[in-house]
Amino acid sequence: MKKWASLIVAAAFVFGPMTARADTKALEEAAKKEGELTWYVAHYTSEGAEELGSVFTKMYGIKVNVVRTTAQVAYQRLTQDIKNNQTICDVFSSTDLGHYARLKSEGKFEKYTPENTAKISEVFRNIDPEGFFHTTAAGQVVLTYNTTKVKAEEAPKRWQDLLDPKWKGKVSTGHPAFSGYVGTWVYSMKKLYGWKYFEQLEKNKPQIGRSINDTVTALNAGERQVAAGADGSTLFSAARGNPLAVNYPTDGSILIISPSAIVKGTKNPNAAKLYMEFLMSPEASEVNVKHFGIPIRPEVKGAPGTQPIDKIKVIRPTVAEIDKGIPVVIEDWRDTFGN
Amino acid sequence: MSKLVLKNIGKSYGSFDAVKDFSLELASGEFVSLLGPSGCGKTTTLRMIAGFMPPTSGTIEVDGKVISSPAGVVPPEKRGMSMIFQSYAIWPNMTVGQNVGFGLEVRKLPRAEIERRVDRILEVVQMAPLKGRYPAELSGGQQQRVALARAIVVEPEVLLLDEPLSNLDANLREEMRFEIRRLHDEFKITTVYVTHDQSEAMVTSDRIVVMNKGRIEQIDPPHILYGRPKSRFVAGFIGRTNFVDRDGATYSIRPQSIGLSPARPLANAVEADIVGRSYLGEYWDYLAKPLGDTKPLRVSTGPNVLFDVGQRVWLEIDPTAMVRVE
Amino acid sequence: MAVAQPALDLPMRRTRIGGWDPTWLLWIAIIAVLLFLVVSPFVYLVLTSFQAERTGAFTLQNYATAYGRARYIDALFNSLQLGAGAALLAGVLAVPLAWGCSRTNMPGRGFVRMLVLATFITPPYTGAVAWILLAGPNAGWLNRIYVMLTGAEAGPFNIYSFPGLVVVIALYSFPYIFIFTSAALELVSSEMEDAANILGAGTWRTMRKVTLPLAIPAILGGLIICFLEAIALFASPAMIAIPARFNVVTTQLFQFFGNPVRVEVAAAYAMPLLGVTVLLALVQRLMTHRKSFATLTGKGGERRPIDLGSGRWLMFAYAMFVASLSVFLPYIFLVQAAFAKAWGRGFAWDNLSFRNFHFVLFEHATAAQSVWNAFLYAGVAATAGVILTLGVAYIVARKLVPFGGLLAFLCVAPFVIPGVVLAIGFYAAYAPPPLALYGTAMILILAFTTRFLPIGYVNASAAIRSINPEMEEAVRVLGGSRLTALRRVVAPLLKRNLLGAWLLIFIPATRELSSAIFLYGPNTKVVSVMIFDMSEEGNFEYLAALALILQILTLPLLYIGQRALGRDFMLRRTTT
Repeated sequence: MKKWASLIVAAAFVFGPMTARADTKALEEAAKKEGELTWYVAHYTSEGAEELGSVFTKMYGIKVNVVRTTAQVAYQRLTQDIKNNQTICDVFSSTDLGHYARLKSEGKFEKYTPENTAKISEVFRNIDPEGFFHTTAAGQVVLTYNTTKVKAEEAPKRWQDLLDPKWKGKVSTGHPAFSGYVGTWVYSMKKLYGWKYFEQLEKNKPQIGRSINDTVTALNAGERQVAAGADGSTLFSAARGNPLAVNYPTDGSILIISPSAIVKGTKNPNAAKLYMEFLMSPEASEVNVKHFGIPIRPEVKGAPGTQPIDKIKVIRPTVAEIDKGIPVVIEDWRDTFGN
Repeated sequence: MSKLVLKNIGKSYGSFDAVKDFSLELASGEFVSLLGPSGCGKTTTLRMIAGFMPPTSGTIEVDGKVISSPAGVVPPEKRGMSMIFQSYAIWPNMTVGQNVGFGLEVRKLPRAEIERRVDRILEVVQMAPLKGRYPAELSGGQQQRVALARAIVVEPEVLLLDEPLSNLDANLREEMRFEIRRLHDEFKITTVYVTHDQSEAMVTSDRIVVMNKGRIEQIDPPHILYGRPKSRFVAGFIGRTNFVDRDGATYSIRPQSIGLSPARPLANAVEADIVGRSYLGEYWDYLAKPLGDTKPLRVSTGPNVLFDVGQRVWLEIDPTAMVRVE
Repeated sequence: MAVAQPALDLPMRRTRIGGWDPTWLLWIAIIAVLLFLVVSPFVYLVLTSFQAERTGAFTLQNYATAYGRARYIDALFNSLQLGAGAALLAGVLAVPLAWGCSRTNMPGRGFVRMLVLATFITPPYTGAVAWILLAGPNAGWLNRIYVMLTGAEAGPFNIYSFPGLVVVIALYSFPYIFIFTSAALELVSSEMEDAANILGAGTWRTMRKVTLPLAIPAILGGLIICFLEAIALFASPAMIAIPARFNVVTTQLFQFFGNPVRVEVAAAYAMPLLGVTVLLALVQRLMTHRKSFATLTGKGGERRPIDLGSGRWLMFAYAMFVASLSVFLPYIFLVQAAFAKAWGRGFAWDNLSFRNFHFVLFEHATAAQSVWNAFLYAGVAATAGVILTLGVAYIVARKLVPFGGLLAFLCVAPFVIPGVVLAIGFYAAYAPPPLALYGTAMILILAFTTRFLPIGYVNASAAIRSINPEMEEAVRVLGGSRLTALRRVVAPLLKRNLLGAWLLIFIPATRELSSAIFLYGPNTKVVSVMIFDMSEEGNFEYLAALALILQILTLPLLYIGQRALGRDFMLRRTTT
């Protein structure tokens, strides 16, 4: 098996560049004729998503309508589109893996395996053996804190630390009914420590935003001091001079795999395919690194201050777990936190 | 041939008859007033003639052509009439000249011809210098003249006037009555004039239609209407009068047809007491109660005939001046 | 004939009886449009609430689902409490101001009115964001200042709470009560007060016993409007109630509309909101029509301002206090955030930046577009609304059709349909085929048109009523058609009024969120939705920049409106 795989990889290296380049060329031409595409995206921050779109536009002259929302809103939008027989979205990038399982089973995706799938880091490859959706971004839910209010040694090191009464009125989170990151985190915490984790967290009166990136604002403003936040948006903000830092929890940071897929019936199939290629390209990974995301291309180095995921303890729920788990924890969350 | 014929026109709202069984013929060039108290149906009748209101029964003809019947109505803009409104309805967004020229414009006359006719009619109504003014800059009387010019310049089949003078002050009102008649005499347009003011009607009209509660009471020239009212209503509405009951019938006698003297006249004399008086400048108005009667009679005398309240006097009543009314 | 000319004939003079008046076609078209805009979404809303999701079969299941959880029921009661709290607080803010501005010699009355206007044109979501900056429990400026002054551990204010939401809503809906109350107070003649003075009552006693009781129906009317605004509001609860961890009807509706979309359940859940609104709107109408106006139309009397003595400065101080809460403080910190790298870092030169404006205007793919969309849709909706309501007001005023009253009713009916409910009706009626307006600009434009139909109608009908019908009859009797009369006389005379009506629809339509949030598509995002989306990530700096851009763009419109219609046009004419 392994032999075969390496043979294929080797073959791809030998023959790949030539054929791929030729194919990409044809794809590029066809895509340019279509001229634009619409991208529903839940990954990245607004700035990150907008920058990816504009880099693509610079490279190919194809306009990208970036519609950046939280994962559940993007999914709701897309299902609503489908229900009304409209194809507005061409490429769908959510942070909730469950969306892909559901949409795929309903036949809502075009099957497309980008040339670049073979070139991304192995951990990210092949999340859908049938090739309907592919990893195009990754991030982690980690512990974050405001460095002016919290000393490094006092900052929470493991998830359980957030339950310490000393953080009462000082914790910030996003909302699982909006954010895919938060949904995945809540599911993982429940699996790890049971729902009583959140019953205890509730006693600390966390401020609940919608997007996970809301925690960054809450910490920056000094509104809250510690949070379950995203590594990328937190470190990006810290790099801009805001008093933020992250701790990779000793009991495991939550790895968020964010796939993309082409929506069935897309009006811009070639632009969509080209965009899929782009999202897996080194250029996209560079942009991602600029925004402190995890590069999915092995040749692109992670941003300074970030920990490569093979160096830390990482929790990675399966697609099936997320698919089943998130809708359940959203209801649990609402019952515990009130809405 | 009659110019305008109304045959059994009626307008009812449910069981209420605003106008009932109204028939009238106007000769070409005739000036007829519809006179009556408010709510008598005169304006309703006028609006049915104009075409703003479809009659519920009856027909209207102009030059022998039916323009309104229960089968259908010709809309006002196709009737070739003109109308002067109580509010004048001078369009404030147009100058005097534009107001007056509007009807000619609709009739698609050439520009130069319009100008010529407008200038001409403005001369007639003495408004020529104000042609370029806007209505807001005009007095009430001037607006009235613009309205007249605008209505006349199109040489309408029939000219309709709806209480045109009621918004003017007393002096101007009197002046405009004569102006309207003068213009009529000049242009000989068949005219229907609605008013509740009897003297207006009498000054302007060839004939007057007195209306009451939606019905015609009497149609006659002014002097006949005054002198020979057919009904108690007409007698009471046109001028002032006294009603006297004799032998089961009612008679009307005008206050000025009763003589008043300290001494017994030769004939037709009744003894009475003066119970009230008022001085109106042009005449004295006395209330004299015949002896044995409960109701005082109204008697008008010259301004120099003086009696005191309480004084016993003689009334002289000319039997030919007594008109039997219904 | 003195003027001897050939006879003047009307062109095409037909004396055919029963001629068809082509203007009837126009009337029929308008009626059809009205049915389409107002009746059909409403009918769909009700029908949908009884339909099973896929099959469309009759069911009561939606109601069972909508009221099946304690959480959902709680949200209903939260809304009622919220409405009552906000209305009462708004009354406390508005009534003294209205009295001060319209009946006393309080200094700076014009200035205070201007500040009320500034409050009035601040969209609720902008106000909510400003108050998050002001009264966030730890970082809010008021709390920081408090901590700085007292050395306390933490400040006392928490916007993310039920009282916090009440305050924010009251602060931006009190102008309604102000408008109602001052309109009523301006009709109380000084003679009525003099009559009380002569009988020995002092200023305060007169106010309590004579002036205020006369204005009470109007004040109650204003309170009801405030209540209805508060329970129908989506933006502020969405920004504040979610972190504050409670739901109200509108946010709960949004959840039903969320993942997955359950229009049927949302429709069922919208019914109490609709019912309460209809009921209270009726009460409000009865009240303002029966009492206040009957007693207050005694116009003739002159109105002298009451001399408050040195108390007038106290009055002014109160007005400034209210204005600080609704205008000064919020805008100071909105501007700070809009020009800050991170708002939490406060006022410092190294924190100053134009980046936020640059980002929303030039880097963000859709933010600038969303502003344009909002103005475009609002413009089309305002134009359509003015034409339509003018047509209806005309038909009704001139009694051109039987059942004119019904048309008038249809035009003002959307007043009692909360924006979110209206949007759900529109979604149910027109998003799916055959019209398939889902995600199109058209569905937003139609919804905006319907939503602001009442404002248009009230203004159009007042305008039409100001024109003596004889103006048009004069045209017709001279041979012009009804359309000629409309074109040559009515329209020119109504120019100013129509411009005013247009602006009164346009301005609120550019900032409408509660219906847009359910109907926008990715390519038809309007600025209000954009702002709301940005709040999701807590991007208050961008959001403040965008909100300020929206406010700045509104200023020239206000100026035009004031030139055309007088200084208070916005305050006087928006309410029925």
